[in-house]
Amino acid sequence: MLLAFLLPPLLILAIDITFYGSFKGIDSNVSFTRFSNATLTAYMLCSLFLLGNLFFYGESRNRPLAPLVGMFFATALGVVATVFFIGQGPMLLEDNGSVRAQAIYNVVHMFVSSGAILVAMGVALGVTFSAITSQKQRNNFELEEE
Amino acid sequence: MDEMLVALFLFWIPVAMVPLGLWYSMSSPLKNASSRGRLFAFTGVVLICISPWTVPSSPSTAAGHLLGAIIGPCMLILLGIYLISFSGNVPVGKLPRSDRKLGVLMTGFGFIWLAGMHWWILTPQLSPNEVNHYWFVFWPTFIILTSCLASCSAVTLLMIGEQRKAESNAMFIVSGLSFSILILGLNVDGPLITADEFREHLWLAVADLAGITVGSLLSIFVFALVIYSYERSLPAPKSISPPTESELKQVSTLIASHLGGEDE
Repeated sequence: MLLAFLLPPLLILAIDITFYGSFKGIDSNVSFTRFSNATLTAYMLCSLFLLGNLFFYGESRNRPLAPLVGMFFATALGVVATVFFIGQGPMLLEDNGSVRAQAIYNVVHMFVSSGAILVAMGVALGVTFSAITSQKQRNNFELEEE
Repeated sequence: MDEMLVALFLFWIPVAMVPLGLWYSMSSPLKNASSRGRLFAFTGVVLICISPWTVPSSPSTAAGHLLGAIIGPCMLILLGIYLISFSGNVPVGKLPRSDRKLGVLMTGFGFIWLAGMHWWILTPQLSPNEVNHYWFVFWPTFIILTSCLASCSAVTLLMIGEQRKAESNAMFIVSGLSFSILILGLNVDGPLITADEFREHLWLAVADLAGITVGSLLSIFVFALVIYSYERSLPAPKSISPPTESELKQVSTLIASHLGGEDE
């Protein structure tokens, strides 16, 4: 299943190697910068979302403070790491001039990517569901009816 | 007013209004909370869509411009799929059979609209001949992930499902169509987007998806670790004393009175 998931990009790589003899269009430095920014931003935003979920967890545990503080520090660590690594210079700065501009760009970029991911998941799940419901109704109780 | 304050009030607060409105509509026990929350979220979406005009100085509002451009085709695709799904064999919420054709038309039109943004004059542009750079993020991410997920779904249907070959073939077709769009994008220039630009952004989208996966998994791991550490630090629950003779006698009397049953 994992191989099926990775098949389309692997096929494009195979086609590129066959016709051009190399990975055409991949700049490893730029791709690494994007990967690092996406990792840091996803960690930060996902931690914030999970920190919010801890309130619901607390409702069934007499509202303990320990996990809330723990997750708060984990989220803060993500924010500090993001600011620190972006501030190291051109390594994680894309076309932006300052740490703040890059951090805001990362968040907006993440919203757009998340939107694309949600629509793609909606299409894939929806088409799977519609393919299943478009078939003739199955009778699972043939033996019981006999 | 300061430009940053304007951006805060007319872009970032509306961005926050969307999840807050949805959360309120789903979780509040109050009467009419659902419609109020949805209205709140909808107002946020409208304010985001008009942000390129209300906050022209902020580069982040290009995302609002993109949202306004893609919301139409995306809604058409998703509503079309909903109509196709629920006009089939479903036990609840069944729609009339005629909605199926409408659903296919809506989905097809939505995809053609999106393709027209790459190869025709519909490309989201911030100013004449200046393509919205977030379009280069959305389009390759959407197409490659659709192809990957459809391929994964097809194989899952074959491996887990019983007699699901027809459904699996349908998913392979969806994956193949998305892949064909990718191959077309890598080889055929649009009026404003060249094949080389698309290729560059396709691999950036792959790097983006990999980064999002790693970052999300890392935060979920940390979350699980925090919960595990807390649960482990809790003292063991107090054990109660064993039942007395009289309690055991009462229980055995109760059990005996419920055994046997009546003759039918």
